[in-house]
Amino acid sequence: MFFLTTPAHLYIRRPSPTTAEFTVTTCPPLTVPLRVALFSVLCVRVALVVGVVLTAYARLSPSPSSNPSSPSSTPSSSSSSSSSSPFLPFSSWDAVALLLQRWLDWLLASAAGQQCAALAAAQVLRPWWALGGVCGAAGWAAAALGRIHTTESLLVLRGLGIQTASSYGTFSHSGGSDGDCDVGYGGWWWFFGWLLQLALGTRSAQGSLGGGGSGGSAMATTRETRFIPTEKIRDVLINEAFRGLEVRYCLVVVVDGEEDVVVVFPRLLPPRRIVEAVWRGVRGCLYEPDGGGSGGGTGMRQAAAGEKG
Amino acid sequence: MAPTYNIAMVSDFFFPQPGGIESHIYQLSTKLRDRGHKVIVVTHAYEGRTGVRYLTNGIKVYHVPFLVIYRSASFPTVFSFFPVFRNIMLRERIDIVHGHASLSSLCHEAIFHARTMGLRTVYTDHSLFGFADAASIMANKLLKFSLSDVDHVICVSHTCKENTVLRASLDPLMVSVIPNAVVAENFKPLHSRPEVSANSFGHNPPPVRQLGPHDTITIVVISRLFYNKGTDLLTAAIPRIIQNHPNTRFIIAGSGPKAIDLEQMIEQNVLQDRVEMLGPVRHEEVRDVMVRGHIYLHPSLTEAFGTVIVEAASCGLYVVCTQVGGIPEVLPSHMTVFAKPEEDDLVAATGKAIAALRANKVRTELFHEQVKTMYSWTNVAMRTERVYNGISGAISEAEFYGYDAANAASWSATRGRSGVQSFALIDRLKRYYGCGIWAGKLFCICVIVDYLLFVFLELWFPREKIDICPDWPRKTINEQKETVKDARSRW
Repeated sequence: MFFLTTPAHLYIRRPSPTTAEFTVTTCPPLTVPLRVALFSVLCVRVALVVGVVLTAYARLSPSPSSNPSSPSSTPSSSSSSSSSSPFLPFSSWDAVALLLQRWLDWLLASAAGQQCAALAAAQVLRPWWALGGVCGAAGWAAAALGRIHTTESLLVLRGLGIQTASSYGTFSHSGGSDGDCDVGYGGWWWFFGWLLQLALGTRSAQGSLGGGGSGGSAMATTRETRFIPTEKIRDVLINEAFRGLEVRYCLVVVVDGEEDVVVVFPRLLPPRRIVEAVWRGVRGCLYEPDGGGSGGGTGMRQAAAGEKG
Repeated sequence: MAPTYNIAMVSDFFFPQPGGIESHIYQLSTKLRDRGHKVIVVTHAYEGRTGVRYLTNGIKVYHVPFLVIYRSASFPTVFSFFPVFRNIMLRERIDIVHGHASLSSLCHEAIFHARTMGLRTVYTDHSLFGFADAASIMANKLLKFSLSDVDHVICVSHTCKENTVLRASLDPLMVSVIPNAVVAENFKPLHSRPEVSANSFGHNPPPVRQLGPHDTITIVVISRLFYNKGTDLLTAAIPRIIQNHPNTRFIIAGSGPKAIDLEQMIEQNVLQDRVEMLGPVRHEEVRDVMVRGHIYLHPSLTEAFGTVIVEAASCGLYVVCTQVGGIPEVLPSHMTVFAKPEEDDLVAATGKAIAALRANKVRTELFHEQVKTMYSWTNVAMRTERVYNGISGAISEAEFYGYDAANAASWSATRGRSGVQSFALIDRLKRYYGCGIWAGKLFCICVIVDYLLFVFLELWFPREKIDICPDWPRKTINEQKETVKDARSRW
């Protein structure tokens, strides 16, 4: 698990002098071995989830499968067992339930399924809370394996504003919340920024609104974004704060009309070296006349200019 | 080029809370910064004052989130402060930890952990304690614990030094006396004339203090109205003083539990027109209250130093005070009238002061300049810097402790070769073991646990992972001549 991640490091993308995206991620560059490793992690997660479901099923419906003398290895035998079930295929919901039950029976009949059934029948796990604990732990492990990489980014667009995004890979798909822009046009601003992101190609088009973290994780990600329009930005500065048992540097945005500052990269809280680099970049991109120096691709610049016009 | 240090001042008591210790830390820190050192202050979080802040002159203040139990002293948890403390010390690259105030558990813990981390420690005691009552015994045991392993102790007066040496069983050689100081510019008399000469007649207006026999003399009292500040004594003395001297009035500023007693006294004796009670005043208003009076009355029962009487003298007030604690060391005799801490003597001393003022025998208008030459924070910072030099080995043991003491001090088995205390765990344990039959063993267990905690922290939060803070631009010292002159002019 440790070779899958790196310490937080910074990627800067500057398609134009007035646009920059700073991404801090714990994901190393996607090499072939890493892709293979990530895929195996994905397989482990799927296996864990299926195992949990099967174990729970074996415990809850012990009638056909806990009897090892009637191994129902073929679909025909499972259909015969389903005929003895109390369900009758009257409505579509019943049909779905029936289908599900057949599937589970079929899975349970396999070698791994027998293992799960044995686990469910084990003497140690006789009390319901013990089994629940094991299932919960396995489910938690499956969820935790999905959060190997944390990726947080800050997109700066001169004249529009900045957008913070924070994501980590997981299967639960909460979608992109559009932040809590409290002005009337807030939602529109966000939509605008999103369109622009699409135009600039920073967001993978095949991903849904919430999907496709720009850090490059292959899995679907949970992504929380927040857009702050330029006129609401009072200042961007580096602060020091107590967090846990240490004092950390953090990049904060002072937003007009809000009591609390917005912390950029709140999960990773990268070291001072990265925070200072991002701070310089943001200041340059937002306020300095030449966009803080380095130029970018002309096509991208046209896109940005078009949005501004 | 004198060495410069990174110093952490640690105390529970700091701004925004007003008080003597708070302003001591602040003034000392600013002057140390002027001398080219880096200073940070570590205190606990106050209401509305949290996180990391900068004060003027580049002093950085860490308001550590902590539980406050009593009179803004934090809850004594022996080990819980260590992780945050270590983080702050490492990121600020601190060499010397300087703790203040004996009632501050943050300070004691910081000294304890700093020694575990291998940092030099200094402790400044600002208060006197008794030996008799249970609370004092407890406090003294704790003090002994934290001072068993400290490099140097600073006391604000010789009386305080005696007290601290006895309470914590210290080697008197490792205790220095560095008094407080006042910012004389903030305590100017009402009519400050720069060219007050010996004969103030001629072009100058006659002295303001030229009192006639029937002019009203105003006596000012500014103190928190607590038992140890002698408010009971004041309550008993005021009616008698007013009875003996018809043309006197009192101004009393401050608040506290004894305010009710004073108000009852005023009601009973019908002194509403003679005694004015102002209630609590802010520190920056103290001068404005002081300059309304002629005499400053200080009836305190115990006092380690008594900064307020220096402030009063600086404002040009004649000082009447009880002869307790470190007070007799503070001002020269021509500025003060001393009394024993009892009613009769206080009344007699006040009478003597009133008579002296009426006879125009006291040149109060000269007090300000005299106090200004006696007390300055620059001087305090210089002397504190010498202590830092001594404990870090920048000046030799013989020079720091005195040439005679260098030989005599060889009895101290735990002191290292350079005249500074050794950091070896076994030496530290030796020092703690001598604290008492049970306490010694308990303290040793604490030291060992603290050391294990330190090792654990080194593994869990490795040093390389901690960001180093950039330093605020340091000042350079170019006041060599001035400091020599300053040192000569003192006393």
